[in-house]
Amino acid sequence: MALTFSGSSLGAEGAVLRSQLDRFAAAHPDVRVELRVTPDSADQRHQLYVQWLNAQSAAPDVLQLDVVWTAEFAGAGWILPLERFAPEVGDFFPAALEASRWRSRLYALPWFVDVGLLYFRNDLAPEPPRTLDELDRAARRSIEAGHTRSGLLWQGARYEGLIAVFVEYLAAFGGGILGSDGRVIVDEPEAVDALSRMRRDVGPDGIVTRSALNWREEEVRLAFQNGGAVFMRNWPYAWPLLQDPARSRVAGRVAVAPLPGRDGRPPVAALGGAQLAINAHSAHPQLAWMLVEFLTAPEQMLERARLAAQLPARPSLYDERLDGALPIPVPPVRQALEHAVPRPVTPVYSELSEILQVAIHRALSGQQAPAAALSEAAAAMRNVLARSGLSPSGTP
Amino acid sequence: MTNAAHDRRDLPLAVLLMLPALCLVLVVGLVPMAMTVWEALHGRDLRLPWLGRPFVGLANFVEAAGDSRFVDALGHTVAFALASVPIEIALGAALALVMHAAVRARGAIRAAALLPWTIPTVVAALIWRFLFDAQTGVLTRLLQSTGITSAGFDWFVHPLAAWVPIVAADVWKTTPFVAILMLAGLQTIDPSLDDAARMDGAGPLRRFFTITLPLLWPSIVVATAFRVLDALRLFDLAYVMTGGGPGTSTEPLSLYAFAALMQRLRFGYGAALSITVFVLTFAFALIWIRSMGRTLAGERS
Repeated sequence: MALTFSGSSLGAEGAVLRSQLDRFAAAHPDVRVELRVTPDSADQRHQLYVQWLNAQSAAPDVLQLDVVWTAEFAGAGWILPLERFAPEVGDFFPAALEASRWRSRLYALPWFVDVGLLYFRNDLAPEPPRTLDELDRAARRSIEAGHTRSGLLWQGARYEGLIAVFVEYLAAFGGGILGSDGRVIVDEPEAVDALSRMRRDVGPDGIVTRSALNWREEEVRLAFQNGGAVFMRNWPYAWPLLQDPARSRVAGRVAVAPLPGRDGRPPVAALGGAQLAINAHSAHPQLAWMLVEFLTAPEQMLERARLAAQLPARPSLYDERLDGALPIPVPPVRQALEHAVPRPVTPVYSELSEILQVAIHRALSGQQAPAAALSEAAAAMRNVLARSGLSPSGTP
Repeated sequence: MTNAAHDRRDLPLAVLLMLPALCLVLVVGLVPMAMTVWEALHGRDLRLPWLGRPFVGLANFVEAAGDSRFVDALGHTVAFALASVPIEIALGAALALVMHAAVRARGAIRAAALLPWTIPTVVAALIWRFLFDAQTGVLTRLLQSTGITSAGFDWFVHPLAAWVPIVAADVWKTTPFVAILMLAGLQTIDPSLDDAARMDGAGPLRRFFTITLPLLWPSIVVATAFRVLDALRLFDLAYVMTGGGPGTSTEPLSLYAFAALMQRLRFGYGAALSITVFVLTFAFALIWIRSMGRTLAGERS
């Protein structure tokens, strides 16, 4: 029998995956596991998956899904609900599990997680800020003293990464994109306040350089590691790169903390990462499940963390076993993960995200006021939900 | 044997000889186009298979007409053509005159002038993106040191200024193409006309406007047609340099159609948008060739 697996297969990630697939095949002598290579760009992989699954192809049996795709694939009936395999879900981060469900059924298992973190220059700011206002003051002090050109850096280009930043500002202000009942709430006052704060931060008297509106993660990291700012919002991958004295001017002077909330609110973080799901047309669902179970087992997660620096989706692993195994300090990462929020879980996520990206970018580049941009976006999002037959009952 | 009889006897052979070309046009041109039109009359979202693929008539086009992002993209596309093509034609003509007049090192001059045209558009876009980069861009620094732009000014964050690098890159890249077309036109002009005018005492300006320019007109018409058709299909420069941003202020039609098709996977709506791009370019080609072609034909007869 042959199983096909499809996912990221470049570099260290690919090496770990290949050796784990080999181990699985060795434990099941009658099974052959093929790795179907897909483009590394998320957009392109998504497009390919959609084409395959639309054509009801039986391969790949097991798919690596980005955390924001699961509801879409579940809603379309392309992946199997997992209850029939009686999965053990006690030890996963709640946000990752929430992103694996659609209409209260479980469709995927979290594989690894990614989370937004606050990197800070501990030579300029000895203690991490506990609130947004503390961050703002420390950032302004650094700019005024001429230590750094910018206070804070984040990815502000018009792409998915902008939504991650927005979700974090939203969480800091207690707002959201979709309510728990699926209603669009991104035009409510908390969200308008959050976007207004983002706009102030990246405005003429703000703490974020205006060029950040063109930047993705890598431009942000490069500017920070060249000493451009005292704070940076980025994912965990940046840590080892920042600490490499051959490449980074700030090596040894950087620390990491959870992103602060506003006033007394808890820290905030957007959740990223990947999940594993089973093709609804797979010829060997039971076998595919065994592979999913194997790859998401603690040993495989720890190995992936050690060799590919991808964080385990199981909170129980964030103890002494991960100390030294992970190329990033564990306590702040764990704290961030405990407060992480997923992006909206809906089959039309990518369309809602695109509408929001445009609205946010218009507001941040001064083409539209935050309230107007968000109310226009909210109307368009309600339209999409209505057209897709996904409107929550009792709302227009 | 009469001509007509001759033609009739050759008809089967003529059809046979044309068949391969006709098949090719049919398979790679007409059939995909017909399929796109058919798709545009349906609602289909690959991500929402439960909605099926219902026939919706012109609903996709009606939606586009009420879609402000589409209307903006249409405006951007036309504005880009109006802004870039005249500059390219003027500079291309000037470059052609220089190349035509060059006595020494003609080959080297022509090769050097053509260089930008040989660079892939995506590479050209990246070069110009770096030149205008707010942190490290050479042009940005130059403009700041001369006081033309203020420190911290970022071309790609300003909704109007973001067009400047796009138009600059397009002009830089395609002016050589225009120049080559014009040069070919210049070389067909009989030098004795110029000599005769000079003998009669006509100055260089007079000779340019009464001899060179009218005789160059056919080349200008052709170059303009090529350039406008290209400009209306603007995609790669905007995709690489601004991604259509900030917001959607530099988003041309093709980029919006791409987003609808490949990112949102709304095939019906995306097909409808693609068809508007096609109709736009086709309408321009038709009108331009009819009006300009007629004046050219009129001049010749």
